[in-house]
Amino acid sequence: MQNHGERQVHPALKELVVQASQALAHLDADRLEELALSCQALNRDLSLADKFEKKALQAQALEARGEMTVLAHVLEASRDNLNVLHRLREQSLGRLEYCENQVRGWVPTESGHGDN
Amino acid sequence: MGTISSAFAITTGALQADQAALSIVANNVANANTVGYTRENSNFQENSPVTIGGQSTGQGVTNTGATSVRDSVLTQRLDQQQQLAASSSSRLTALDSVQALFTPASGSTSSTAGDIGTDLTSFFTSFSTLEGNATSSSYRQNVLSTGKILAGDISSAAANLNAQSASLDQETTGVASQVNALTTSIAQLNQQIETTSPTGDAGTLEDQRQQDISQLSSLVGINQITTEKNGISITTTSGTELVAGSTTFPMTSGKVDGVTHFFVGTADVTTGLTSGGGQLGGYLTARDVDIPSAMNSLDQLAYSVSTQVNKLNNSGTDMNGATGTVAAPLNIFAQPTQVAGSAASMSVVMTDPNQIAAAALGAGTGDNSNALAMANLGKQGIVNNQNPSDYYSSFVSSLGSTVTQVQTENTAQNASVSQLQTQSNSLSSVSLDDSASSMTTLERSYEAATQVFSMIDKIIASVINLGEQTTVS
Repeated sequence: MQNHGERQVHPALKELVVQASQALAHLDADRLEELALSCQALNRDLSLADKFEKKALQAQALEARGEMTVLAHVLEASRDNLNVLHRLREQSLGRLEYCENQVRGWVPTESGHGDN
Repeated sequence: MGTISSAFAITTGALQADQAALSIVANNVANANTVGYTRENSNFQENSPVTIGGQSTGQGVTNTGATSVRDSVLTQRLDQQQQLAASSSSRLTALDSVQALFTPASGSTSSTAGDIGTDLTSFFTSFSTLEGNATSSSYRQNVLSTGKILAGDISSAAANLNAQSASLDQETTGVASQVNALTTSIAQLNQQIETTSPTGDAGTLEDQRQQDISQLSSLVGINQITTEKNGISITTTSGTELVAGSTTFPMTSGKVDGVTHFFVGTADVTTGLTSGGGQLGGYLTARDVDIPSAMNSLDQLAYSVSTQVNKLNNSGTDMNGATGTVAAPLNIFAQPTQVAGSAASMSVVMTDPNQIAAAALGAGTGDNSNALAMANLGKQGIVNNQNPSDYYSSFVSSLGSTVTQVQTENTAQNASVSQLQTQSNSLSSVSLDDSASSMTTLERSYEAATQVFSMIDKIIASVINLGEQTTVS
């Protein structure tokens, strides 16, 4: 049972960032959304933290800076991948529209089916 | 037309088309676990309607075969990212070995290259100790012993770096033969595809060619250009042709200044391959950039320490009352003639400890002022304006930064490859996932990760600024 005044212990910031990079690499959207919620909670708790907790978090923050660089790089690569895929989708939508036009042109001829 | 028999003909045609489509589906399922297999979609073509007396009658559909579901843009992006990931991965492996060389071995009793930092301190401290009793033979012996350990560790580090360079040289030759095998295979497949499917999808032949191209791009940086008759030309990223239709331009190797260089025809393509990516690019970057840079730092350290210590020892008086001359120098270390090669040849040449010139020129043999001057060399900016220990620390720290940077790049590139493979699999393998839903997952993941990043960034900025209060004047 949690003692009065004891706050929930968050995973180390470094671990959190490492997990975010891994989840993004494997496109684990659910895990990333959980991590985002966890960050929101951490941010909220920061305003309630005492001097010692803030000091501990400061040490964690310094430790996590290298992993943040990794996450930034993974985000950058993901954005580039998304751009490529968006362009592909636009291309395939263009193809779809072309197909629809073909169908539209084809329908009137078919209207005569069975009408003899 | 419009008779019962024509209705049967349409139905039979439709059944045959469905049957062909089912075969394609069955083929997809049978190849679900075949590496590199691309899912095929069946193509239905409307039979031309027959018009009699102004009345049009449909003739049903025919199955015209299958088209593989592939996307060259996505595949090329995947190949490109694989090139980068393979390059950083092989470079990282080489850098890890270099870094391990300069990492102190825990629990080891013998001194290694990882102890150079400690060796430098011990060597210059031995002069400080001698300064306390300039005539002590054991203190004099200690100067030579610590000098031998320092020289031994520096020269062994240089020998190890040379061995790593030679081993990478061998690796690159192996990669080049794999490149040649793959380009030959791609050229043969180009020829088969051009003959069998010059205008349409060549199915498994294209799958095989794509697999070869993917393998090739993890070995070497390439560009691919689609040519007429469904062919693909391959060039290195610097533009040298490797495959043009059914013709290959093999890569050959030869020694230039003792290291392996690569040629296509008569052109030396080594520099282009180094920056081009792939495994070969990574190995060449480690061999031609990282190791020479580490060796240069080590050479600089060995040259400066040997030269400065010898210079001072030649300017003092030894226990026998002698002073070094050009003809009979009192050198502690073998005197290097140039910076390059100084680390590999560093050694202690003095055998008699009495030849250590602890006394100043003209002073009595009990004087210690030259020993003090030599001890002070350890605190002076004698290596590129840094003292020897600081210079060595900077070198190790800079090596560590390079390793971290390449590690970061490699993690991000592998993550990117993993994402693209997921997208590519959803598009072209036998998967129940739809490419659209896969794309939505990427979008969701990216958005959530951006939130995580910006929130942690805010938290870090906020806690790092929580330190001591600053006074604003």
